[in-house]
Formats: sequence, C-alpha cells, structure tokens
Amino acid sequence: MRHFRTLLAHELRTAFFSWNTWAAAGLFLTLMGTLHWFAVLECSRAPQAWTPVEATFRLFWLPLLCVLPLLTMRSFADERRQGTLSALLTTPASAAAIVWAKFLSAWLTWSLFWISFTLFPLLVNLRLGASGDQALYDSSALMGGLCFILVSGFLHVSIGILCSCITRSATLAALLTFITLLALTAIGGAMESLPIESWAWLGWLREPAAHLRTFGHLQDFASGILDSRPLVLYATGTLLSLGLAVLAVEGQE
Amino acid sequence: MPEVDPQPTAAVVAEMLTKRYGSLTAIENLSFSVAPGEIVGFLGPNGAGKSTTMRILAGTMAGTSGRASIWGESVALNPAAAKRHMAYMPENNPLPEDLRVEEYLTLRARLKDVPSTLVDERVAKVMEDCDLTRRAKGRLIGQLSKGFKQRVGIADALLAEPKVVILDEPTIGLDPHQILGIRDLIRSLRGKMAVLISSHILHEVEQVCDKVVIINRGKLVAQGRTEDLRRELFPNAVFNLITQATAAELKVLIAMHESAANVEVIGSADANWNKLKVTLQMHSPLREGLASLMISAGMSLREISEEHYGLEDIFLAATRRATTEGGRI
Repeated sequence: MRHFRTLLAHELRTAFFSWNTWAAAGLFLTLMGTLHWFAVLECSRAPQAWTPVEATFRLFWLPLLCVLPLLTMRSFADERRQGTLSALLTTPASAAAIVWAKFLSAWLTWSLFWISFTLFPLLVNLRLGASGDQALYDSSALMGGLCFILVSGFLHVSIGILCSCITRSATLAALLTFITLLALTAIGGAMESLPIESWAWLGWLREPAAHLRTFGHLQDFASGILDSRPLVLYATGTLLSLGLAVLAVEGQE
Repeated sequence: MPEVDPQPTAAVVAEMLTKRYGSLTAIENLSFSVAPGEIVGFLGPNGAGKSTTMRILAGTMAGTSGRASIWGESVALNPAAAKRHMAYMPENNPLPEDLRVEEYLTLRARLKDVPSTLVDERVAKVMEDCDLTRRAKGRLIGQLSKGFKQRVGIADALLAEPKVVILDEPTIGLDPHQILGIRDLIRSLRGKMAVLISSHILHEVEQVCDKVVIINRGKLVAQGRTEDLRRELFPNAVFNLITQATAAELKVLIAMHESAANVEVIGSADANWNKLKVTLQMHSPLREGLASLMISAGMSLREISEEHYGLEDIFLAATRRATTEGGRI
C-alpha cells in the first residue's frame, strides 16, 4: 500500500508536469467547448427535444476516442521503451501496485477533464439563466452524464492502460486503445440495430447486446436510473483489464 | 527490538540456472555463489549470458529451471524479500530523463522501503558518496553526462544499503577518469556488501574483484580467486632472458636441478646475446634462484623477467579450454 501511494503521487506529479497531459487537456476542452457552444446555439434558435448538456454528453465518444488514448498511451509503452519499467520492477514494489497507480492517475486526470467541462454549462447558466422557452442548463442531466463518464471511465481507462502494457510504441498503444474503445462503444448500438429477433440462431446475443448498449447506459444515468448491470459490467471489465495488465507487466521480459 | 537478518553463508546463490528461449539456450546449469562482503567479477564474451543471469538474479526475468537466491531468499518464490536485500543496475542504466537527480533518488528510496525519516539523509549520503551533490543534485537526469548518469545508477543501487549489489557493465562508455572514480567507489563497498559486477574491461575487474566467475556460451568455464585460476590454468612459470649462454648450455645447467624444465630460443638480441625462454614448474625451487644459478655458473645475464598472466590471459585460456573440452563446470 505504501508503494502504491508513493507511485500514485509520482504518477500524478509526472502527469501534471507532462506536456502530453496539457496538450490532451487543451484538445479536450476545445472540442467539448465547441460542441457545447453549437448545442447552445441550436437550442437558442428553435426549441429542441434535448438540452445542450444532453446533446454534448451524447457525443462523449468523440473525446473518448480522440483524447483518452493520448492520456494512457505513454503510461507503460514509454517506460518499456526506455527500460525504466525493468528498473522499477527491481524494487519491492509489485507489478499490481505499479499498474493500479498508473491506472488511478490516468482515471483521475480523465475525470478532472470532464469536471472541468462542467464549467461550460455553468457559465452558460450564469450568463443566460433560465430565460427563453428552452432550458439551456439541465443540472440533473449534467450530474447523471458526469456519473456515467466517471463510472464508465474506469473501464475505458483500464483498456488504455492494458493497451499501453502490451507494446513499446506509444503510437501503437494509442491506436489499439482507439480501436478497442470504438468497438466497445459501437458494438452495443450495432447489435441493437441487428434484426436479432428474426434470427433464431442469434437469440443468445440478445442478453449481451442489452448489457453492452453504452448509449443506453448514458441515458439511464442521465435519467437518474440506477441499474446495477452496467455497474457490474464496468467493474468486472476494469478488473479484467487491469488483471491482464498486471500479467503483461510481470511477463514483460 | 529491531529485526536482525541472520547472515547466510552465501549472499548470492545460483544453482543449476538454465534459461531457454525456445530452442536457444542462453544459460545452462550455471552454478556459482558470492559470499557476503565479497566483490565478484562476472566475465564472458558478448552473448555469453551474463546479462540474462543477472536479470534472473535480480528477479526481472524468470529462469527456465534452477534456483537463484539472494541473502537466503528465493528470487522466484519470495521475490519481494529477495528484492529488499538486493539492488540491481541493469546494462545501459535506464533512467527517467525528465526527473531531477534528487527527486529520482527520493522516489527510489521510498520504493525501496527506506524508512520515511531516513529518506532525506540516505539520499544526501549516496549523492555525496557518488560525487553528485555539487554538480548534479538539482539537474534533470536527461541533461547529465554518461558518467554522471552511471553515478546516479550506482547511487540508486546503494540507497537502501542492500546486502547485495548487482552491476551490469557499470563502466561501459565511461572515460578513464570516470572509470577510476567508479572503480574506487566499488572498491569502497568491499566488506560492506556483496557485489557482483560484469565488465568487458578485464583489467578493471582484476583491480577490483576478489573472485571471478567466467562463463562462455551460457556455461560456467571457471570460477575462483584470480591467483588460484592462474595456478590452475598456467601451471608453469615462464622466464624470458637475454644471456650469452646458448640454449643447450642453459638446458644442461638447469637439468641438474630440474629435469622437467624446457629451454627454447626465441631470437637473438645483439652479437653473442641470445633471447631464451625457460619454462619451469610453478613450484620449482629454480623459480626463485634461476638468475643466481646462472651467474654462479659464470653465464652472463643481461635481462631476466617472469611472464605475468593477467586476467585477460586467464579469461582467454579458460574460454579456450572450455571450447576444446566442450564446456567445464
């Protein structure tokens, strides 16, 4: 536990002083600010069935695919390339402590990005208030969306950490993370659009498809529905990814 | 009462260590030991398996079979305990370039279980011991010269005052001044901790080490004190001399005292002076009295010197013997 705390403090400090983190933060806030700006504009022109906050959160996959890989790609790949991971493993710190410290550091950074994003809706609310026909600020959608991001973030970040563990190239790690997250985000929607009901031999896919509907989870969180199934999915997925990452680090030679 | 580790008879034990990569055998049935406080040179040609052995001992690589232990703790079965007694500086000494020297050493001290109250003190001490305090303390590691980076690596190895230090090519790429500095530093560890050091610079190993372990193609070919290996591999004493006596005259003279001696001509110096090579048994009494014997026999003697076999000769002879005998343990 002492090693974990030391490593976590080191990782957070390294992340804070890394140009990579600041570049990712700049990209994230520019992207999310722009998306939210357009959503607010759209709502100000004509009444919509959604609020700007809901619309922006429904585009969570954009920063997920473009920004998250930038945060996690260097965590292990760079250390393996430089050989510093081997040096780290000669200390009494366990591979599990190293993996968890890097994971938690990346998750905290990712969470901080999203928490920073909430400033945009708050600023909009502060500037425009509840004037007009359309509510431009929706605190329940904001909190629900943020909860979804933080909970699903465990799995998404752990996938990024796992991808970084299995290669010495940070670029390849980012690419692997992008592909895996794309598949994970799209697979639920793709399954929902398949005519599974009419294909008897695909009937067994109905349950998994129901579990993997990422956008449905966002909807549930935003609506304040607390379903334990996505929580179990994200928790087990996170543990599986991090377990594999520990094995990859232990077997790195 | 603080817990005191009982001192084992061997600080490092490698017993029948084998590492295979598919069909390639990197090391095979390698056995040797390092006593507490002893400095041992680990020698072998490129690709002999030195780094592989050191990585297995350091716990960063698993062996295929065999047993490795550090201070009595099995590296495979109890890696955390073994690592607590050991520090390892890998070849090329990888360091995070974006950290400052003091920050890096502080982090490493914490990871190596140095008590919190002692971290600052230990970091200051190793920086002083490794001559880092004045010129490198607050600098980024990436900005340091190769020599200072090596010093940082060695400072890191000494931080937790381990019982065993494993250094893989600690002087590679250093200039002669830096090599001298590192050598003195390693020499200062004698008696305090067991040191296993690999190096291509045999002269350096000879200067520093109490014992050597020589491997070739993954197999042990010789181990022991340099003097013992010298006696084992070079059982004869060889003298080069310049004299007016002929080889035949000298042979007759020596044969009166030692029948197994050999005299051969290796050239002529100037007019009437011959260059001869005399081979005696190592324990022959003539080894001490050859010059006085010749002079008392009225032979003119201008120069006499005994050939000295350095570690380089021992290394070459041991690896050659292993090649001809097909390996030796």
